[in-house]
Amino acid sequence: MPRADGPALAELQRRFFELVTAPEGVATELAARGLPTSALAAIIAGDARATAVERLDVYANMYFFRILDVLRADYPKLLAVVGDDAFHDLATDYLRAHPSRHPSLRFVGAALPAFVARHALCLERPWLAELAALEWARVDVFDRADAAPLAREDLAVLAPADFATLVLAPVPACALVPATWTIEETWRAVEDGGAPGPPARADAGHAVLVWRAGVTVRHRAVAATERRALELLLARTSFGALCAALGDEVESEEAAARRAAQWLGQWLADELLARA
Amino acid sequence: MFKVPALGHGIGLRTEHYADVLATPADPIDVDWFEVISDNFMEPGGNPRRVLRAVRERWPVVLHGVSLSLGAVDPLNERYLDALAALAHEVEPAIVSDHLCWGSHGGAYAHDLLPLPFTEEALAHVAARVLRVQDRLKRQILVENVSSYVAFTQSTMTEWQFLEALGARTDCGLLLDVNNVFVSAHNHGFDARAFIDSVPVDRVGQFHLAGHSQLGALLLDTHDHPVRDEVWALYRHAVARFGAVPTLIEWDDKLPSLTRVVEESTRARGVAAEALASSARATGVATRREPPRAPR
Repeated sequence: MPRADGPALAELQRRFFELVTAPEGVATELAARGLPTSALAAIIAGDARATAVERLDVYANMYFFRILDVLRADYPKLLAVVGDDAFHDLATDYLRAHPSRHPSLRFVGAALPAFVARHALCLERPWLAELAALEWARVDVFDRADAAPLAREDLAVLAPADFATLVLAPVPACALVPATWTIEETWRAVEDGGAPGPPARADAGHAVLVWRAGVTVRHRAVAATERRALELLLARTSFGALCAALGDEVESEEAAARRAAQWLGQWLADELLARA
Repeated sequence: MFKVPALGHGIGLRTEHYADVLATPADPIDVDWFEVISDNFMEPGGNPRRVLRAVRERWPVVLHGVSLSLGAVDPLNERYLDALAALAHEVEPAIVSDHLCWGSHGGAYAHDLLPLPFTEEALAHVAARVLRVQDRLKRQILVENVSSYVAFTQSTMTEWQFLEALGARTDCGLLLDVNNVFVSAHNHGFDARAFIDSVPVDRVGQFHLAGHSQLGALLLDTHDHPVRDEVWALYRHAVARFGAVPTLIEWDDKLPSLTRVVEESTRARGVAAEALASSARATGVATRREPPRAPR
């Protein structure tokens, strides 16, 4: 059994972690630190099968490619649009700026949309960040808490006067993604196997609603007024206050009430609302 | 010691097989239990939890985690531990396990099973954390040996001495991954049978079997192949020593059909039965036998 003095456990883990998470591999990182590869020999036993650097590189490669695989799975549309090589470079840049901070790989891509927004990729295609945000919202609602959907019959027992104070709750697995481009069309084009061109500029107030009905993740585009209604819904505003607030944005209070009633029907059909 | 549950032979539950697992109520799948990766079921809703509930209604389930990071110098992630405790409360698993490794540093996660130096310092550190986990979960856990690609020059004991001491200090059980023993033995040039023969018999509560692949002169624990012949031979040797221990087939990458994975588990059942029979003949004493299979 080899016996040698070595760094304390904390120091050993610090050095090991820095080397295996370095973006260009172990040898490059050692060189960048002005250390000869033989510096590793004090810590790690190399032999005829593999040198210390080669052995540590196994971990360095697994680190990067495991996380790359997860990002590719979480962002299939972004990957299809930018291509394998650019996505690989994006993942490298992303991991350097955002090492994983959660024990589960489930969250490793959470900061990618905001990162893409500041990345060179977005200079020519500013809509990529919004496409990524849509993809992340779909990942995020996938396993959020379940809720029994509110059914039309649940509301049938209410008197008309009760609607004014009724507070409707969206299902927990629900998100609203603001979008200045029609990224839902890009998403659809890739889903259908096409090679999408750039999306069109969206109307002001455009958003994509993402939610899970049962175990199926869905999304659809919403225009400005419904987006406003959904924001009020997410803020747990009563149905009466929601109609009143919309009255300022549409032609009259009656029209607002009619429109809110239509949306209520749509939201029930979508299974977007949770039974209290 | 660890009281071994009479589970039989299981396979890992994988996303690609969910539909097949759930769709065959009339034609039971020939496995005794499923192992699930705890980390994949910690979020509260959606399809993963639905599938887990449905599987748990029909089979025993064991929880196998990858992120306790028992060997890290980072503080134990208490939120992760709380989530694991909540999951265990709901699932009532036959076994809860994780690995002898570390996976995070400075709050960042490598999402890998990184190896430890086998030193007294590391042993004391891991033992304290295993005790904390067992205290929080109010049960013994199993700690699994990992495949490793580096060995640290400062180690002062072998991996099996480390595991034996960990068991003695914490009363945890050991999950003996037979493929990992084989892979590490090859990568570091030790005798795989010496490892098996040195692990205390009363500590081993579960076996893992998996396929591995070759990278240059090293073997990698890739879970992307059938179990190799040399690993079957080592499994036979392990069953002869430890008796009928619940055995799991792990298959993750290049995942074949559910039927093919079940076939691999059926093969393990046959190999174990053979090894138990020949060890009983050799010693005249029956070792721990396979449990009777419950009718479904």
